[in-house]
Amino acid sequence: MNLWSKYKKVINSPLYYFQIFIAIVKGSFYILYCRIFKRNIKIGFPFIVYGNVNIKGPGKVIIGKKCTVVENVFRGLSITTFSNDSIVSIGGEGCLLGGLTIRCHSKIELGNNIMTAVSLIQDTLFVTNNNKSYTNYDSSLWKSEPIVIGNNVWLGGHCCILPGSKIGDDCVLSACSVIYKNEINNYNLASGNPVRRSLPIERILGLRK
Amino acid sequence: MKDIIAQLRGILFKIKCKLFFKKVTIAKGLRIYKKLKIVGPGQVFIGNNCRVAGIKGDASKYVTIDTHSPTAVIKIGDNVSLYASRISSNYQITIGDNVLIEESGIVDTDFHSIDRSRDLPIDEDLNKCRINIGNNVSIGAHSVVIKGVAIGDNVVIVPASVVSMSIKSDSLAMGNPARVIKQ
Repeated sequence: MNLWSKYKKVINSPLYYFQIFIAIVKGSFYILYCRIFKRNIKIGFPFIVYGNVNIKGPGKVIIGKKCTVVENVFRGLSITTFSNDSIVSIGGEGCLLGGLTIRCHSKIELGNNIMTAVSLIQDTLFVTNNNKSYTNYDSSLWKSEPIVIGNNVWLGGHCCILPGSKIGDDCVLSACSVIYKNEINNYNLASGNPVRRSLPIERILGLRK
Repeated sequence: MKDIIAQLRGILFKIKCKLFFKKVTIAKGLRIYKKLKIVGPGQVFIGNNCRVAGIKGDASKYVTIDTHSPTAVIKIGDNVSLYASRISSNYQITIGDNVLIEESGIVDTDFHSIDRSRDLPIDEDLNKCRINIGNNVSIGAHSVVIKGVAIGDNVVIVPASVVSMSIKSDSLAMGNPARVIKQ
C-alpha cells in the first residue's frame, strides 16, 4: 500500500484510527502494570484493548503477541486462576478475545488465531469446591481435567467448554453449544447442547462428497 | 479477616430485616461476602449457616431473591451456598440442605401470558408451578430451572443446562432439555 493512500485513509476517518491508537496505549500500559506488580502474567507487546481486562489469581497466565480484546455486550476478557499450579496459555498471532471468561484450576491451552464471542471456559464443573460436604454423589466429578483448543478455532456466542474436552485445528463451534468430556476432530463444525456429533466442514461446503 | 466481615454483614442484614422487612426470617450464621438483595412482598425463610458470595473475577456479583406476590413463599435450607444466582418466585420454591447454586436462575413463573395482550399468565397455579429441590444438590453455572420441576436428592447438574423436566435422585443431568446421563 502506498504511503499517500494510508495518509488519505487516516484523514478520511480520523476517529477510528484515534481509537486504535488509544487501544494500543491502554494495552501497553496494562503490560507495564503486569511487569511491575503481577509477575505471574506475561503478555506479548501489541496488546490491543478496547474493553475491560480482568485477570486475577495466583496462577500463571501467558498471552502471546498481537491479541485484541473487543468489548462485547458488557464484559471484556476475564481470566481467574484458583491455585498456584494452574496455567492458562493463549497463543498469539491475532487472537480476537471478546467477552471470554476463563476459570482455571489446572491447565487450559488455547492455540493461535482464535476468535471468540461471549463464552465460558471452565476447568472443573463447579468452580467453588472449597466445601467437601457437597461431594456426596461422585467425587470424581469434582476433579479438574485439562482443556486443549487448537489453532484457528472460532467459538460462537454463549458456548460453554467444560472439563476434559479437546477441540482440533480449524474447528467451528456454533452458538449456545456445550462440550463436556468430548473430542472434536480437525476442521469440523459442532453444535448442540450437549454436542453429540460433529460434521466435517468440507462436506458441508460441498467440496467433498 | 474476610470471614469476620462477612459474618458482621450477615448480622447487620438480619437486624435490617427485623426492623423493616418483617416477612423475611433469617436463622443463625448467615455470611454475606458480596451483596444480597431481597425484594418483594412475599415470605422468605433462610436456614442456618448459609453463604452468599460471588464468583471471583466475574461481572455479576450479587444474589437476588424476588417474590412477585404476597402469597409467594421461598424456603432455603441449612448450609446452602448461593454464588451470584437469582431466585424469583410467584408461588413456592423450596430448597433443601447442603445445596450449591452457582451463577444460575431458578424461576417459578413465566411472568406473562402467551396472548398478544402480554398480561399475567392465566393457566398457572400452585400445584403446577411449585419447584422442589432436594438435599445435596449442586447446580452449575449458566443453568436455568423452570417452573413445575422437582429435583431429587444427591443430583449434580452440569453447567449450561436447562432443567425443564423433573429429575430423579442420585443422578447426573445435562443438556437442553436436561436429561439424566448417569445414575
